[in-house]
Amino acid sequence: MQIQLDHLLPIPLKDKILQRKSGIWNENIQFNPGSFVKIKAPSGTGKTTLVHYLYHIRYDYTGNVLINGKPWSGYNRNETASLRQQKISVIFQDLRLFEQLTALENIELKRVMNPQPYCTVEKVREMAARLNVTHVLDQSGKTLSYGERQRIAIIRALVQPFEWLFMDEPFSHLDEENTSRAAALIAEECKSRQAGFILTDLDHDQHFSYDVLYQL
Amino acid sequence: MQSFFDLLRKIIRTGVGKSRFFMASVGLGIAMVLILIALQVNTDFNQLLYSDKNQNETADFLVINKKVTNSMMGQPGKSVFSPAEIENIRKQSFVQATGLITSSQFKVVAQAPGDLHFATDMFFEAVPDSFIDVKEDDWKWNPGDRTIPIILPNDFLNLYNFGFSLSQNLPQISQETVKALPLQVVISNNQTSDTYTGHIVGFSDRISSFLVPASFMDWANQKYAGSSSAPASRIVIKTADPSNPALVKFLDDNGYTANQDKLKFSKTRVIVQTIVSVIGFFGLILLFFALLVFSMFIQLVIASCRKEIQLLVTLGTAPRQLQRYLLKQFVPLYFIIGILSLLLVTVLQYFAAGLLAKHDMVVSPLPGIGTIIGTVLILALVYIVNVATVSRYILQDQ
Repeated sequence: MQIQLDHLLPIPLKDKILQRKSGIWNENIQFNPGSFVKIKAPSGTGKTTLVHYLYHIRYDYTGNVLINGKPWSGYNRNETASLRQQKISVIFQDLRLFEQLTALENIELKRVMNPQPYCTVEKVREMAARLNVTHVLDQSGKTLSYGERQRIAIIRALVQPFEWLFMDEPFSHLDEENTSRAAALIAEECKSRQAGFILTDLDHDQHFSYDVLYQL
Repeated sequence: MQSFFDLLRKIIRTGVGKSRFFMASVGLGIAMVLILIALQVNTDFNQLLYSDKNQNETADFLVINKKVTNSMMGQPGKSVFSPAEIENIRKQSFVQATGLITSSQFKVVAQAPGDLHFATDMFFEAVPDSFIDVKEDDWKWNPGDRTIPIILPNDFLNLYNFGFSLSQNLPQISQETVKALPLQVVISNNQTSDTYTGHIVGFSDRISSFLVPASFMDWANQKYAGSSSAPASRIVIKTADPSNPALVKFLDDNGYTANQDKLKFSKTRVIVQTIVSVIGFFGLILLFFALLVFSMFIQLVIASCRKEIQLLVTLGTAPRQLQRYLLKQFVPLYFIIGILSLLLVTVLQYFAAGLLAKHDMVVSPLPGIGTIIGTVLILALVYIVNVATVSRYILQDQ
């Protein structure tokens, strides 16, 4: 699946961005299928905004985000939902778990949203074991620590089929060991799907072997 | 493992305003019962009016005559029907058959036999046999017969038994006795006079007159008056529905009158229809409010889960998945209400049929097809309103 940015420019940040050079904003950029993309940016330059634009939950921009050559606005709600179930997955910076569900239920929700689940419950447990969160699976989302929530959110993003995974500072609450475990799992899952990802973060890192690097 | 809807149930709480939802359900139930009763009563009433089982003998024959007004008095010609008028009556859609009532054009004196010392001037009339409600083998006359079969109006015997005889200290007479009594009937014109034996063969509720067979009437009119037909001043019509408002209007428009009692049924029918319409109307109003409350309830549920629904959609839940989930929460209840209402009306109908049967009125003990179609239509309406509300607010939410 092709993702293309066509002179994308967030309206609220317009003046600020036009004063400086950006590798993403107001450029014509194409992300090739299967590539690992890192976008590095300091705080306040619109990392989260970009991920939201890519995932189509914010619309206050000029220019276009093209999905398979078609702007997001050309997809209706059910088509968008189908893309989010089949082709695009996301890990939000603010994690967005349901507090009224347990950790496992949060993952299950995403898994069984698709009438033909992509992976099995055993696979979920295996991933939980790899990220050291097996012991919290039955805890309510409310009682989880940020680090635990972040790992649950990562697993939730990996239980569905996708061609692109968007990650917004996915390891911000994890220690080094857990970060490398999570990164390894993500890389593995992407490879097995021949999927690419777009990751935004503050600094340089060596978690993945990136194909492309952008400065926001 | 939990299904997607199980998980949604934990996220989208439909418990808010449960009491309102309950009230609306009760409202829907009452509304449905009222509407179904209105439909059912309508069906029953039609069944009472038109079904073969309920055709009572007098219901579909009417004797029509012109109103005798002061200005017509002394001019008997004005009360007879002209051939054009008869043709006009015959043409009306509600008239299935017409029969002219022929009156005698000779003098008739009837005398009671033996010591009763009772004699009276009277008259005869005749109608085609098919309009007569007395089925008797004796009801025939051939030229040369000295015995004339006669049908008396039931009312006449009643008048005698309960009015005349009591006041005159005369014995009351049973129908059987009357039938057994041979009457001496003297028929005369200005020149000749003949005596016949009159034999009462039956009593009619349908036509208030002294009837003799048409064959005798033709013969006697020819013999004593020299003409076989006189202009008719009364016409008996056969109609499927004497309460038909069009019939009543036709009679009024032309200045005709008929057995009023039968026409009064028309008023009853209007009253019943009005009551049924009022019940149905209230049912519809109630249905409208129930739908309104359901819509507001759905709105409330969606509004109270606004954030959750937003996140679900963000995570990729299709609006149609949410729609299906929400409908699944409400729709089964509607169907249960619908079926319960139909059951209740069925039970009521069953008892009503039993009660009516005691009065010789036959209605089906099961609800009519119209009632069942009504149930389906109401449920369809409720369903459509729900789908519309859910899809509108779900979509609005993003």
